[in-house]
Amino acid sequence: MNILEVKDLRKRFGDTEVLKGIDLSLKKGEVLSIIGSSGGGKTTLLRCLNFLETANSGEILVNGKSVYLARDGEKPTVTLEAQLSFGLVFQQFNLFPQYSVIENLMLAPKLRADAKGNTERQEIYKDIRAHAEELLAKVGLTEKADAYPCQLSGGQQQRVAIARALMLSPEILCFDEPTSSLDPELTGEVLRVIRSLKDSERTMIIVTHEMEFAKHVSDKVIFIADGVIEEEGTPEELFENPKSEKTRTFLSAGKNDI
Amino acid sequence: MELFLDVCSKLGNGFVTALFLFIFTLLLALPLGLLMCFCTMSKFKPLSFLSKIIVWVLRGTPLMLQIFTIFYLPGILNLFVWPQMNTGWVWFDTTFSTRFIAALAAFAINYAAYFSEIYRGGIESISKGQYEAGQVLGLTKKQVFFKIILLQVIKRIIPPMSNEIITLIKDTSLANTIAVYELIFEAKEFMTVNGLIWPLFLAGAFYLIFVGILTVAFGKLEKKLDYFKA
Ligand SMILES: Nc1ncnc2c1ncn2[C@@H]1O[C@H](COP(=O)(O)OP(=O)(O)OP(=O)(O)O)[C@@H](O)[C@H]1O
Ligand SMILES: [Mg+2]
Repeated sequence: MNILEVKDLRKRFGDTEVLKGIDLSLKKGEVLSIIGSSGGGKTTLLRCLNFLETANSGEILVNGKSVYLARDGEKPTVTLEAQLSFGLVFQQFNLFPQYSVIENLMLAPKLRADAKGNTERQEIYKDIRAHAEELLAKVGLTEKADAYPCQLSGGQQQRVAIARALMLSPEILCFDEPTSSLDPELTGEVLRVIRSLKDSERTMIIVTHEMEFAKHVSDKVIFIADGVIEEEGTPEELFENPKSEKTRTFLSAGKNDI
Repeated sequence: MELFLDVCSKLGNGFVTALFLFIFTLLLALPLGLLMCFCTMSKFKPLSFLSKIIVWVLRGTPLMLQIFTIFYLPGILNLFVWPQMNTGWVWFDTTFSTRFIAALAAFAINYAAYFSEIYRGGIESISKGQYEAGQVLGLTKKQVFFKIILLQVIKRIIPPMSNEIITLIKDTSLANTIAVYELIFEAKEFMTVNGLIWPLFLAGAFYLIFVGILTVAFGKLEKKLDYFKA
């Protein structure tokens, strides 16, 4: 069964249709990379999946269960469960500046535990802290647990953001150009973390301009242009043997840049 | 010497009145300003339009005029709206407490308008990404506001707030126009009755000292939130 299925997803901003019917599916543990030129709708797609934008029509299924079904004119409600099946890592990190690294990780799980009205709060908080420490170790930032975001480099902030997203164990973790606002020498550490997540079978959707990285880490690649999936396939198919003219132009333009 | 003690005790009383006016104005205006701020930011257009007009009027007319308007409101209503009500010119009677309350009401409403704009600036300066990061982590709107946004807003509005609050201390002197016996009123009494100028300067020293204390306090608060950048 597919962990994620998206059917005919459409999004309009005013009169301009930005997503013109996106279909995709993903199996558990697969990594999907989304490439495409600027303004194609990649960010909008991720934002729709994370319910930051309300798709105008289409359906989203997680583990075969419909979590979002929109017909024109209706605004479906999103359950907390649906929201938490997706995680999102932003281009600009968006860490909470007033909280230390470990507090950034623990905030949401603690609030969730509080909401459930658990009586053994201390026990649960202890578990949450242990989980946070484990994830910090995984992204290599154990010694920064008590630092504040403003004391970290961009690469470190992004790794914290990844760990924070993992705290709630989303089914599908999305990345929107996770290295685009980083200095070139800092992209490596973030990409290494993402690769290690792939090794632990995390299902991921990555919007990226790092073609080499996409080639190596993905099981599937889609090329989005003007709100439609122009081409999709394995990295080999798409990068070595693109069928669509648009894909070819896009990929060769990238090469000329370098 | 006796005169000096008399001046000091009168000015002391005036200072206490000013202090009460200051404290009660803050207690009322800080929450009222937040309410006004939410109204001006409301997505419900008529509400936001109306509150923007109110803020505009309150910030666009002299505070002294507003004090008079509230003090003479019954008289104004009597003249133009319900002549038959015959309430007289001012609220019920003109005891000290009524005059104090009229001044307090004017200060609270006026300062709430200024505070609301400071709050709005603070809230709008927080990046959308903070709200979105909260939503993606499954926080409710309320949790996002109270756990993530609020402290960042507080940090950002401390400098403009401390400015406004320091202005308020000095503005309490405007209450003397409707005979609220605050500092300047008392000092002026010595000028008209005893022909003395220096009590006015002594009154000035009272303000200076109080502003000094507040400046230090705000500095401390700012320092306390220095551990993060927002
Ligand atoms: N909130 C919005 N209101 C109006 N138009 C928007 C909004 N968000 C995005 N758009 C438009 O939608 C289109 C797709 O934008 P999107 O950000 O999804 O592109 P993208 O593929 O992520 O591009 P990039 O590679 O530059 O990040 C663009 O034309 C953009 O101007
Ligand atoms: Mg984008």
